[in-house]
Amino acid sequence: MSNHNPETERVERPYTESSVIMTTVRIVAPFVFTYGLFVMFHGASSSGGGFQGGAIVAAMVLMLAFAFGIEPTQRWFKNTAIVLLATGGVLAFLFIGVGPLLLDGTFLEYSAYGFKKAPKYGIEGVELGIGAIVASVISGLFFAIARGFEYTEGQQ
Amino acid sequence: MITLLEAALLGFVLVSAVATILLRDVLAAIVAFGAYSLGLAMLWLTLQAPDVALTEAAIGAGVTTILFILTLTKTVRPSEDSVFTPINWPAAGVAVLFAGALLWTVPAMPAIGDPSAPAWADDVTQFYLESGYAETGVENVVTAVLAAFRGFDTFGEAVVVFAAGVAVLVIIREEQFT
Repeated sequence: MSNHNPETERVERPYTESSVIMTTVRIVAPFVFTYGLFVMFHGASSSGGGFQGGAIVAAMVLMLAFAFGIEPTQRWFKNTAIVLLATGGVLAFLFIGVGPLLLDGTFLEYSAYGFKKAPKYGIEGVELGIGAIVASVISGLFFAIARGFEYTEGQQ
Repeated sequence: MITLLEAALLGFVLVSAVATILLRDVLAAIVAFGAYSLGLAMLWLTLQAPDVALTEAAIGAGVTTILFILTLTKTVRPSEDSVFTPINWPAAGVAVLFAGALLWTVPAMPAIGDPSAPAWADDVTQFYLESGYAETGVENVVTAVLAAFRGFDTFGEAVVVFAAGVAVLVIIREEQFT
Protein backbone atom coordinates (compact mmCIF):
# COMPACT_ATOMS: atom_id res chain seq x y z
CA MET A 1 0.00 0.00 0.00
CA SER A 2 2.16 2.84 -1.26
CA ASN A 3 -0.66 5.38 -1.49
CA HIS A 4 -1.73 6.29 2.00
CA ASN A 5 -5.39 7.11 1.84
CA PRO A 6 -7.14 7.95 5.10
CA GLU A 7 -10.55 7.44 3.54
CA THR A 8 -10.03 3.80 2.62
CA GLU A 9 -8.32 3.14 5.94
CA ARG A 10 -11.36 4.31 7.84
CA VAL A 11 -13.52 1.92 5.89
CA GLU A 12 -11.15 -0.99 6.60
CA ARG A 13 -11.07 -0.39 10.34
CA PRO A 14 -13.77 -2.65 11.81
CA TYR A 15 -14.95 -0.30 14.57
CA THR A 16 -18.60 -0.65 15.44
CA GLU A 17 -20.35 1.34 18.14
CA SER A 18 -21.89 -0.82 20.82
CA SER A 19 -23.99 0.93 23.44
CA VAL A 20 -23.50 -1.98 25.85
CA ILE A 21 -19.71 -1.69 25.75
CA MET A 22 -19.80 2.13 25.78
CA THR A 23 -22.10 2.30 28.80
CA THR A 24 -20.17 -0.37 30.70
CA VAL A 25 -16.84 1.32 30.06
CA ARG A 26 -18.25 4.73 30.96
CA ILE A 27 -19.46 3.44 34.34
CA VAL A 28 -16.38 1.33 35.06
CA ALA A 29 -13.75 3.90 33.97
CA PRO A 30 -13.72 6.23 37.02
CA PHE A 31 -13.50 3.27 39.37
CA VAL A 32 -10.64 1.64 37.47
CA PHE A 33 -8.70 4.91 37.26
CA THR A 34 -9.17 5.40 41.00
CA TYR A 35 -8.14 1.79 41.63
CA GLY A 36 -5.00 2.32 39.52
CA LEU A 37 -4.06 5.37 41.60
CA PHE A 38 -4.87 3.43 44.77
CA VAL A 39 -2.57 0.58 43.71
CA MET A 40 0.23 3.10 43.02
CA PHE A 41 -0.15 4.95 46.33
CA HIS A 42 -1.07 2.01 48.49
CA GLY A 43 1.75 -0.19 47.21
CA ALA A 44 3.54 0.74 50.41
CA SER A 45 0.93 -0.89 52.62
CA SER A 46 -0.62 -3.61 50.45
CA SER A 47 0.24 -5.46 47.30
CA GLY A 48 0.81 -3.38 44.20
CA GLY A 49 3.03 -0.48 43.30
CA GLY A 50 3.93 1.82 40.46
CA PHE A 51 4.28 -0.80 37.74
CA GLN A 52 0.99 -2.51 38.58
CA GLY A 53 -0.94 0.74 39.06
CA GLY A 54 0.45 2.20 35.85
CA ALA A 55 -0.49 -0.95 33.95
CA ILE A 56 -4.06 -0.76 35.30
CA VAL A 57 -4.43 2.90 34.29
CA ALA A 58 -3.02 2.15 30.82
CA ALA A 59 -5.33 -0.85 30.40
CA MET A 60 -8.25 1.48 31.18
CA VAL A 61 -7.09 3.99 28.55
CA LEU A 62 -6.99 1.11 26.04
CA MET A 63 -10.47 0.05 27.14
CA LEU A 64 -11.73 3.60 26.50
CA ALA A 65 -10.26 3.44 23.00
CA PHE A 66 -11.82 -0.01 22.57
CA ALA A 67 -15.27 1.31 23.47
CA PHE A 68 -15.35 4.79 21.94
CA GLY A 69 -13.06 4.27 18.95
CA ILE A 70 -9.37 5.03 18.79
CA GLU A 71 -9.60 8.40 17.05
CA PRO A 72 -11.88 10.20 19.55
CA THR A 73 -9.84 8.78 22.44
CA GLN A 74 -6.65 9.91 20.74
CA ARG A 75 -8.01 13.46 20.60
CA TRP A 76 -8.55 13.46 24.38
CA PHE A 77 -5.01 12.32 25.12
CA LYS A 78 -2.70 15.05 23.92
CA ASN A 79 0.84 14.09 22.93
CA THR A 80 2.20 16.81 25.26
CA ALA A 81 0.44 15.25 28.25
CA ILE A 82 1.82 11.78 27.49
CA VAL A 83 5.38 13.09 27.01
CA LEU A 84 5.14 15.24 30.16
CA LEU A 85 3.95 12.26 32.22
CA ALA A 86 6.71 9.97 30.93
CA THR A 87 9.58 12.43 31.35
CA GLY A 88 8.05 13.82 34.56
CA GLY A 89 8.00 10.33 36.06
CA VAL A 90 11.68 9.72 35.26
CA LEU A 91 12.66 13.17 36.59
CA ALA A 92 10.56 12.73 39.77
CA PHE A 93 12.28 9.42 40.51
CA LEU A 94 15.68 10.95 39.73
CA PHE A 95 15.18 14.04 41.92
CA ILE A 96 13.77 12.04 44.83
CA GLY A 97 16.83 9.78 44.50
CA VAL A 98 19.40 12.56 44.09
CA GLY A 99 17.90 14.77 46.84
CA PRO A 100 19.60 12.94 49.72
CA LEU A 101 23.00 13.51 48.06
CA LEU A 102 22.54 17.24 48.70
CA LEU A 103 21.67 16.48 52.33
CA ASP A 104 24.84 14.45 53.06
CA GLY A 105 23.13 11.11 52.36
CA THR A 106 23.63 8.53 49.64
CA PHE A 107 21.56 7.98 46.49
CA LEU A 108 17.97 7.07 47.40
CA GLU A 109 18.64 7.28 51.15
CA TYR A 110 15.16 8.62 51.93
CA SER A 111 15.76 9.01 55.66
CA ALA A 112 18.26 11.80 54.88
CA TYR A 113 15.27 14.06 54.17
CA GLY A 114 14.86 14.15 57.93
CA PHE A 115 11.12 14.64 58.32
CA LYS A 116 8.86 12.10 59.95
CA LYS A 117 8.19 8.94 57.86
CA ALA A 118 10.46 10.33 55.12
CA PRO A 119 11.21 6.85 53.64
CA LYS A 120 7.52 6.09 53.30
CA TYR A 121 6.71 9.35 51.50
CA GLY A 122 9.83 8.97 49.39
CA ILE A 123 8.77 5.47 48.32
CA GLU A 124 5.25 6.66 47.53
CA GLY A 125 6.64 9.51 45.42
CA VAL A 126 8.86 7.08 43.54
CA GLU A 127 5.95 4.66 42.97
CA LEU A 128 3.84 7.50 41.60
CA GLY A 129 6.67 8.43 39.22
CA ILE A 130 6.94 4.82 38.01
CA GLY A 131 3.17 4.69 37.56
CA ALA A 132 3.25 7.85 35.42
CA ILE A 133 6.01 6.38 33.22
CA VAL A 134 4.32 3.00 32.74
CA ALA A 135 0.82 4.38 32.13
CA SER A 136 1.97 7.04 29.64
CA VAL A 137 4.41 4.82 27.72
CA ILE A 138 1.91 1.95 27.31
CA SER A 139 -0.92 4.21 26.16
CA GLY A 140 1.51 6.20 24.00
CA LEU A 141 2.74 3.03 22.28
CA PHE A 142 -0.85 1.97 21.73
CA PHE A 143 -1.77 5.25 20.04
CA ALA A 144 1.43 5.27 18.00
CA ILE A 145 0.78 1.75 16.70
CA ALA A 146 -2.91 2.48 16.14
CA ARG A 147 -2.17 5.52 13.99
CA GLY A 148 0.06 3.41 11.77
CA PHE A 149 3.20 4.33 9.92
CA GLU A 150 4.80 3.57 6.63
CA TYR A 151 8.02 3.82 4.76
CA THR A 152 8.42 5.16 1.33
CA GLU A 153 11.10 3.46 -0.73
CA GLY A 154 14.56 4.97 -0.24
CA GLN A 155 13.60 7.06 2.80
CA GLN A 156 16.49 7.85 5.09
CA MET B 1 -0.70 -31.68 47.41
CA ILE B 2 -2.47 -29.18 45.19
CA THR B 3 -6.02 -28.18 45.98
CA LEU B 4 -9.01 -28.67 43.70
CA LEU B 5 -9.00 -24.95 42.82
CA GLU B 6 -5.34 -25.03 41.80
CA ALA B 7 -5.88 -28.18 39.77
CA ALA B 8 -8.86 -26.58 38.00
CA LEU B 9 -6.87 -23.41 37.25
CA LEU B 10 -3.89 -25.43 36.00
CA GLY B 11 -6.21 -27.40 33.74
CA PHE B 12 -7.79 -24.17 32.44
CA VAL B 13 -4.36 -22.65 31.73
CA LEU B 14 -3.23 -25.80 29.95
CA VAL B 15 -6.37 -26.07 27.81
CA SER B 16 -6.28 -22.38 26.81
CA ALA B 17 -2.55 -22.67 25.98
CA VAL B 18 -3.17 -25.66 23.70
CA ALA B 19 -6.19 -23.86 22.18
CA THR B 20 -3.95 -20.85 21.42
CA ILE B 21 -1.59 -23.12 19.50
CA LEU B 22 -4.19 -25.15 17.63
CA LEU B 23 -6.85 -22.59 16.65
CA ARG B 24 -6.58 -21.67 12.98
CA ASP B 25 -8.30 -18.29 13.19
CA VAL B 26 -5.93 -15.64 14.57
CA LEU B 27 -8.65 -13.73 16.43
CA ALA B 28 -9.79 -16.93 18.15
CA ALA B 29 -6.17 -17.67 19.11
CA ILE B 30 -5.83 -14.14 20.59
CA VAL B 31 -8.99 -14.64 22.67
CA ALA B 32 -7.69 -18.01 23.89
CA PHE B 33 -4.36 -16.36 24.74
CA GLY B 34 -6.18 -13.70 26.79
CA ALA B 35 -8.01 -16.46 28.66
CA TYR B 36 -4.64 -18.15 29.28
CA SER B 37 -3.25 -14.95 30.83
CA LEU B 38 -6.34 -14.52 33.00
CA GLY B 39 -6.06 -18.11 34.25
CA LEU B 40 -2.39 -17.57 34.97
CA ALA B 41 -3.20 -14.37 36.93
CA MET B 42 -5.69 -16.30 39.09
CA LEU B 43 -3.09 -19.03 39.56
CA TRP B 44 -0.56 -16.44 40.81
CA LEU B 45 -3.20 -15.26 43.25
CA THR B 46 -3.69 -18.76 44.68
CA LEU B 47 0.11 -19.00 44.99
CA GLN B 48 0.00 -15.79 47.11
CA ALA B 49 1.80 -13.60 44.57
CA PRO B 50 -0.74 -10.73 44.23
CA ASP B 51 1.83 -8.31 42.78
CA VAL B 52 2.57 -10.67 39.90
CA ALA B 53 -1.15 -11.45 39.52
CA LEU B 54 -2.01 -7.74 39.14
CA THR B 55 0.64 -7.28 36.45
CA GLU B 56 -0.35 -10.47 34.63
CA ALA B 57 -4.02 -9.45 34.57
CA ALA B 58 -3.37 -5.88 33.39
CA ILE B 59 -0.49 -6.51 30.96
CA GLY B 60 -0.99 -10.14 29.91
CA ALA B 61 -4.76 -10.33 29.67
CA GLY B 62 -5.47 -6.63 28.99
CA VAL B 63 -2.79 -4.67 27.15
CA THR B 64 -1.25 -7.54 25.15
CA THR B 65 -4.64 -8.76 23.93
CA ILE B 66 -5.65 -5.30 22.75
CA LEU B 67 -2.26 -4.75 21.05
CA PHE B 68 -2.67 -8.08 19.23
CA ILE B 69 -6.22 -7.20 18.12
CA LEU B 70 -4.97 -3.78 17.00
CA THR B 71 -2.26 -5.45 14.92
CA LEU B 72 -4.85 -7.82 13.49
CA THR B 73 -7.02 -4.92 12.26
CA LYS B 74 -3.98 -3.65 10.33
CA THR B 75 -3.41 -6.95 8.54
CA VAL B 76 -5.49 -9.19 6.35
CA ARG B 77 -7.35 -11.94 8.15
CA PRO B 78 -8.00 -14.80 5.76
CA SER B 79 -11.30 -16.56 6.25
CA GLU B 80 -10.70 -20.23 6.90
CA ASP B 81 -13.00 -23.19 6.76
CA SER B 82 -11.06 -25.39 9.17
CA VAL B 83 -11.23 -24.66 12.89
CA PHE B 84 -7.84 -26.12 13.80
CA THR B 85 -4.47 -25.57 12.24
CA PRO B 86 -2.60 -28.65 10.99
CA ILE B 87 0.00 -29.77 13.51
CA ASN B 88 3.66 -29.40 12.58
CA TRP B 89 4.91 -32.67 14.07
CA PRO B 90 8.68 -31.95 14.14
CA ALA B 91 7.99 -28.63 15.92
CA ALA B 92 5.56 -30.33 18.30
CA GLY B 93 8.23 -32.95 19.07
CA VAL B 94 10.80 -30.27 19.90
CA ALA B 95 8.25 -28.45 22.09
CA VAL B 96 7.36 -31.66 23.98
CA LEU B 97 11.06 -32.47 24.49
CA PHE B 98 11.73 -28.96 25.79
CA ALA B 99 8.74 -29.06 28.14
CA GLY B 100 9.87 -32.49 29.32
CA ALA B 101 13.38 -31.19 30.05
CA LEU B 102 11.88 -28.31 32.08
CA LEU B 103 9.46 -30.59 33.97
CA TRP B 104 12.36 -32.91 34.76
CA THR B 105 13.91 -30.15 36.91
CA VAL B 106 10.69 -29.57 38.91
CA PRO B 107 11.35 -32.25 41.58
CA ALA B 108 14.63 -30.47 42.39
CA MET B 109 12.74 -27.37 43.54
CA PRO B 110 12.10 -26.95 47.28
CA ALA B 111 8.55 -27.51 48.50
CA ILE B 112 6.29 -24.46 48.96
CA GLY B 113 6.87 -23.13 52.48
CA ASP B 114 10.06 -25.17 53.02
CA PRO B 115 12.04 -23.20 55.67
CA SER B 116 15.37 -24.45 54.30
CA ALA B 117 14.62 -23.22 50.73
CA PRO B 118 17.62 -21.19 49.47
CA ALA B 119 15.51 -18.09 48.77
CA TRP B 120 14.19 -18.11 52.33
CA ALA B 121 17.23 -19.27 54.31
CA ASP B 122 19.39 -16.65 52.59
CA ASP B 123 20.90 -13.97 54.86
CA VAL B 124 19.83 -11.14 52.54
CA THR B 125 16.17 -12.28 52.60
CA GLN B 126 16.16 -12.43 56.38
CA PHE B 127 17.78 -8.98 56.55
CA TYR B 128 15.06 -7.51 54.29
CA LEU B 129 12.29 -9.13 56.33
CA GLU B 130 13.75 -8.12 59.70
CA SER B 131 14.74 -4.53 58.97
CA GLY B 132 12.29 -3.70 56.15
CA TYR B 133 9.69 -2.05 58.32
CA ALA B 134 12.16 -0.48 60.76
CA GLU B 135 14.16 1.20 58.01
CA THR B 136 11.46 2.21 55.54
CA GLY B 137 8.19 2.28 57.49
CA VAL B 138 6.23 0.54 54.72
CA GLU B 139 4.23 -2.59 55.53
CA ASN B 140 4.64 -4.27 52.13
CA VAL B 141 8.12 -5.73 52.17
CA VAL B 142 8.04 -6.24 48.38
CA THR B 143 7.69 -2.49 47.93
CA ALA B 144 10.36 -1.88 50.56
CA VAL B 145 12.81 -4.06 48.61
CA LEU B 146 11.86 -2.66 45.19
CA ALA B 147 11.75 1.04 46.00
CA ALA B 148 14.23 1.32 48.89
CA PHE B 149 16.78 -1.50 49.28
CA ARG B 150 17.06 -2.09 45.54
CA GLY B 151 15.78 1.30 44.43
CA PHE B 152 18.70 1.78 42.07
CA ASP B 153 17.66 -1.32 40.08
CA THR B 154 14.08 -0.08 39.98
CA PHE B 155 15.24 3.29 38.70
CA GLY B 156 17.00 1.42 35.89
CA GLU B 157 13.80 -0.50 35.11
CA ALA B 158 11.74 2.69 35.02
CA VAL B 159 14.23 4.24 32.60
CA VAL B 160 14.05 1.07 30.45
CA VAL B 161 10.27 1.55 30.12
CA PHE B 162 10.81 5.19 29.18
CA ALA B 163 13.53 4.20 26.69
CA ALA B 164 11.19 1.62 25.13
CA GLY B 165 8.70 4.39 24.35
CA VAL B 166 11.43 6.56 22.83
CA ALA B 167 12.84 3.62 20.85
CA VAL B 168 9.49 2.82 19.23
CA LEU B 169 9.07 6.46 18.18
CA VAL B 170 12.57 6.35 16.66
CA ILE B 171 11.83 3.11 14.80
CA ILE B 172 8.53 4.28 13.33
CA ARG B 173 10.15 7.67 12.57
CA GLU B 174 7.53 9.74 14.27
CA GLU B 175 7.91 12.56 16.75
CA GLN B 176 4.56 12.20 18.48
CA PHE B 177 2.66 9.45 20.24
CA THR B 178 -0.79 10.73 19.29
